[in-house]
Amino acid sequence: MFSAALQPSSARRSEAGAQLVMQRESRVQYGPVPRCLFGDPLPERTWQIKGDAFLLRGEGEHYFHYRRGTGVTVERGADSDLSEEGLWLNGSVYSAIASINGLLPIHASAVAFDGKVFAFTGPAESGKSTLVAALGSHGLPMFCDDTLVLDLSDPQRIVCLPGHKRLKLRPDAVALTRASREEKVSRTYDKYYCSPAAGVVDVALPLAELLFLEEGALAIVPIRGAERFARMQDDHQTARLFEAARRFDRATQFSHQARLATQISMTRLVRPLDRSRFRDSVALAASHVTRR
Amino acid sequence: MTALIKLSDRFVEVDIDQEIVVMRLDNGEFFALAETGAAIWRLIDGRRDKAALIDALAADYAGGRAEIAADVDELLRQLRDLGLLDDA
Repeated sequence: MFSAALQPSSARRSEAGAQLVMQRESRVQYGPVPRCLFGDPLPERTWQIKGDAFLLRGEGEHYFHYRRGTGVTVERGADSDLSEEGLWLNGSVYSAIASINGLLPIHASAVAFDGKVFAFTGPAESGKSTLVAALGSHGLPMFCDDTLVLDLSDPQRIVCLPGHKRLKLRPDAVALTRASREEKVSRTYDKYYCSPAAGVVDVALPLAELLFLEEGALAIVPIRGAERFARMQDDHQTARLFEAARRFDRATQFSHQARLATQISMTRLVRPLDRSRFRDSVALAASHVTRR
Repeated sequence: MTALIKLSDRFVEVDIDQEIVVMRLDNGEFFALAETGAAIWRLIDGRRDKAALIDALAADYAGGRAEIAADVDELLRQLRDLGLLDDA
């Protein structure tokens, strides 16, 4: 039947489509890579983005190069620590690939409930992974650890891609959360891979809420008004990668942040960083997530 | 009196939960307007002059006209200093 109705924009990806893009673009091969994308050779532990290409230098002569459409190429030097390679690939490289392909990586760990994602964000060492691991004992499966990738291609809603990283916990957090401990993450990194008690979710789901982890007396406090915009001023590495990849002008960057601020429900989860109160804070988070 | 006009090519804005965030395009600086500040901002529509703006606020807000006028004067001064307001 003929229909003159407008068709959905081709810019709007299907949720499975975004996952497939990331699977395709993050495939890895080994070989020589350029030493810089522009200017001088890269110092260790720095990166460059130029157009649809990304170059990261890890420790020593360990290089990671990505170009849209051709995937990731890794060049290992004689001194490369191979136990760190997965961390680089799943960290900055993955976030750069997401950013270059129009997806937004944010620094957060998340659980799923009732077909939606509840993400916890905060500075490094604020307890994101520990909380998500502990919520497994309340029956909430993990959605992602450390990096949450958002698909913004549908203007009406924000969709989360399932996490690509395994849960990593420090030894004391393993004991606190009763997660199942597996192998050590790397020679130099004092964390262990773990299996969350309620398993993991591997399908894309809409974002329900972003909760900001803060220290203080136990409380759940909604974030409203202009503060929601201020909370989107993120200076984490993932945000810098996105900014470098998208190269928005001021007005477009404002529009992007305004969209996030108006579409994402935000809450402060305030809790004491006191081991004796840990179960209380986890119970509060669980009841908040499951009451919705 | 002259109508109050926002210089809309110099800023972008977003309304979040009845509060307004404005960014200057020339330097990227942000500021937020809440409650009466947001109300004044919304009432600057290119047609009202200052007296009409105060009348509109006095109809909706408690408080003396002099008090409202002082708040309006202060915000208009700040907006002019920021280069976001013109008196046609």
